[in-house]
Amino acid sequence: MSASDDKSGDIMLIPGAEDTIDPATFEQILEMDEDEVEREFSRSIVYDFFGQADSTFKKMESSLEKKEGEYLKELSELGHFLKGSSATLGLTKVKDSCEKIQHYGSQKDETGVKDITEKESCDKLKTTIAQAKKEFLEVKDVLKEYYKDTD
Amino acid sequence: MDSNQAGGAGSSNSSDFVRKLYKMLENPSDESVVRWGNDGDSFVVLENEKFTKHILPKHFKHSNFASFVRQLNKYDFHKVRHNNEENGQSPYGPGAWEFKHPDFKMNNKDALDNIRRKAPAPRKPNQPNETDMLVPSQQMDMVSGQLMATQAQLHALEGRYNELSIHHSMLLQEVIGLQKTVVNHEHVMQQIMTFLHGVDATQRRNSKLSFGPNGAQPPNGNIEGANQAADDDNPASPLQHASKLLSETNADVMLNPRNLEQMNEITMRMNGTLTTPPPDFARAAVRPTSRGPPSASSAGSMRLENLDNLVYPVGQSNGIDPMYSEHINNIPYAAPPKAVDAAEPKFLEGRKKSTIPDPGWIRPPQILLVEDDPTCRRIGSKFLYAFHCSIDSALDGLEAVNKMNAGSKYDLVLMDIIMPNLDGVSACHLIRQFDTTPIVAMTSNIRSDDISMYFQHGMNDVLPKPFTKEGLLHMLEKHLVHLKKPSAQGEGMAAPQPVQIARQLVLKEEDSPAKSPATVSNWNSPSQMPGVSPVGSTVTDEYAQALQGQPVQHPGAYSVNPMQANIGYNSSPQMQMQARQQQQQQQQPPASHRRQISDISGGDDMSNPAKRQQMYAPHMPQQMNPMQQRPR
Repeated sequence: MSASDDKSGDIMLIPGAEDTIDPATFEQILEMDEDEVEREFSRSIVYDFFGQADSTFKKMESSLEKKEGEYLKELSELGHFLKGSSATLGLTKVKDSCEKIQHYGSQKDETGVKDITEKESCDKLKTTIAQAKKEFLEVKDVLKEYYKDTD
Repeated sequence: MDSNQAGGAGSSNSSDFVRKLYKMLENPSDESVVRWGNDGDSFVVLENEKFTKHILPKHFKHSNFASFVRQLNKYDFHKVRHNNEENGQSPYGPGAWEFKHPDFKMNNKDALDNIRRKAPAPRKPNQPNETDMLVPSQQMDMVSGQLMATQAQLHALEGRYNELSIHHSMLLQEVIGLQKTVVNHEHVMQQIMTFLHGVDATQRRNSKLSFGPNGAQPPNGNIEGANQAADDDNPASPLQHASKLLSETNADVMLNPRNLEQMNEITMRMNGTLTTPPPDFARAAVRPTSRGPPSASSAGSMRLENLDNLVYPVGQSNGIDPMYSEHINNIPYAAPPKAVDAAEPKFLEGRKKSTIPDPGWIRPPQILLVEDDPTCRRIGSKFLYAFHCSIDSALDGLEAVNKMNAGSKYDLVLMDIIMPNLDGVSACHLIRQFDTTPIVAMTSNIRSDDISMYFQHGMNDVLPKPFTKEGLLHMLEKHLVHLKKPSAQGEGMAAPQPVQIARQLVLKEEDSPAKSPATVSNWNSPSQMPGVSPVGSTVTDEYAQALQGQPVQHPGAYSVNPMQANIGYNSSPQMQMQARQQQQQQQQPPASHRRQISDISGGDDMSNPAKRQQMYAPHMPQQMNPMQQRPR
């Protein structure tokens, strides 16, 4: 929020961007914008992603709470799903956490190698989902800041 | 004796002209008009008019006094002037012309041999006025001679060109025939492979029986078994190898008969076999302008812009036909849909400020993007669009299989792996039952065992996620080599066809005055040239026009050609339709295995070519997918 004086258009100058966003990946999306002021394309992608992430986190939380059916498998799939879009946008931290969610959901450790118990999975999922969500909100602030000066 | 020589043998060394001249003066009946001079060392034309009308034709086969004088000059005769005499008048009368040569004397025929044609000398500035007057006609002769020669040359070239274009079309036919043969062989090969796989499977089953489930190495050389999923349920490695080779060198993909057919059609059109006017003139014309003009730059695309505002002719498909990807660049950009959960495939369209070079496709590659994640799908589409591809998308493997099974033709499929309803690997496996379009796995799961599994199920390549623009472009170029423009392909083909094209252009363009059909046709047929001396104005006018017309016509010709190339592709829906139907017939038997899928997708448009135009219509199988709403 403090970077409202930043007119250079470089998202990496916004505080918090440096370790949450992969500049190369994000910039190749920015390159697709036809208008560098409006940034209609990347903006709509990013804001759609916000909605997508919000609803995915909600699903994750309720799924982990209810523990119905193959909830772990579902959590793994949700993690994979969000991993894909965050990776495409270059939101590295969110992506890494989502990858962990994917592994925990399939009852593996965070590297996807060793098996873990359902209990372990649930515990790890709980903290990791919370962490992913926090990271998402952080990067959301950065992105909102970035798109704000053309609002 | 002297006179004998003059009439016959003695003349052997002297020139025709001089002999004729001498002979003319021997005729006493013409004395009142032309005769020897008083001293016998010159001759005098007394009555210019009579001489020109009656004597000249008799001896020199023309009636042009100026020409006669010029000839005399060439032989170094000189007009005798009488300026030194009192009144400046000739003794033979005021209208008389007296000519003299030191060796041209009455009764001295031997001396005639010394009269020779002058070597063309540079004109002396102090030449008498009369010669000045003669010079233009001399030049005219030269120019007209050159013109004739040029036209003869042109005629020869035209004949040669026609010959070559006939050969060209014959060759095209041959190559098309060969391609068909190769494709047929390819299909035979695939059937053999299928059969061998069956045999192989039986063998493996048998060997399993005899060696037990974890038995030693099966006798048929299955070495994959150990390091794969620790079972021997894989096809024998020679078979795998062969399958892979087959899929790599797939004739269906590598040979694109459509290109040739389109060339062929252009040739036919040019040779006049096909006289129908190109129905989709404008449609094809707009395309090159709306994209960066890469190699077809220069005159070509500049000229085409004039055609932009032509109306769409009411053709086969009434203007815009969504089937033709060429349109993708013409459709004004619509904001990408906000709601991406619609099962409707979308073209992302619009103009692109170009940070990306045009890869230079001969036509926009048709790409099917299979991706459940809206973010990835939109960015992928955007990149593909920037690479001048036309994009169709499917939200999961099932939709992709249905689309392909319903007959949609793509040049490349980009396939996500983990998707709801039907994952990418299974989708690929299904598609491989009836189609050989290259499929590239798009995934973040790129461990080596993952990758080998992708290949086993018929995928052709892997594009790791998150992909980059460069990675994506590399994939496209790798698998769509056959769609790359070989530098300046289209232009070279029909360039030397100024005449017919010029005529077509005349119909379309009023702004090029030099291209009236009349001019063109005259230029085209030298035989129409008047045979008389071209001093008159007609020929030179034509020549001048032709000269002007030539440079104008050429850009014209060049600009039309790429367009025609497109027309060829565009305006032959019948041919394409046939080709597709053929392809379908080939696909039909395996397709019927998967009947349930095509049934579900409402897809009896397999057999209904008319419906294929709407193949992007969203008749997708929601009803089949109770789980589809899941991970959004």
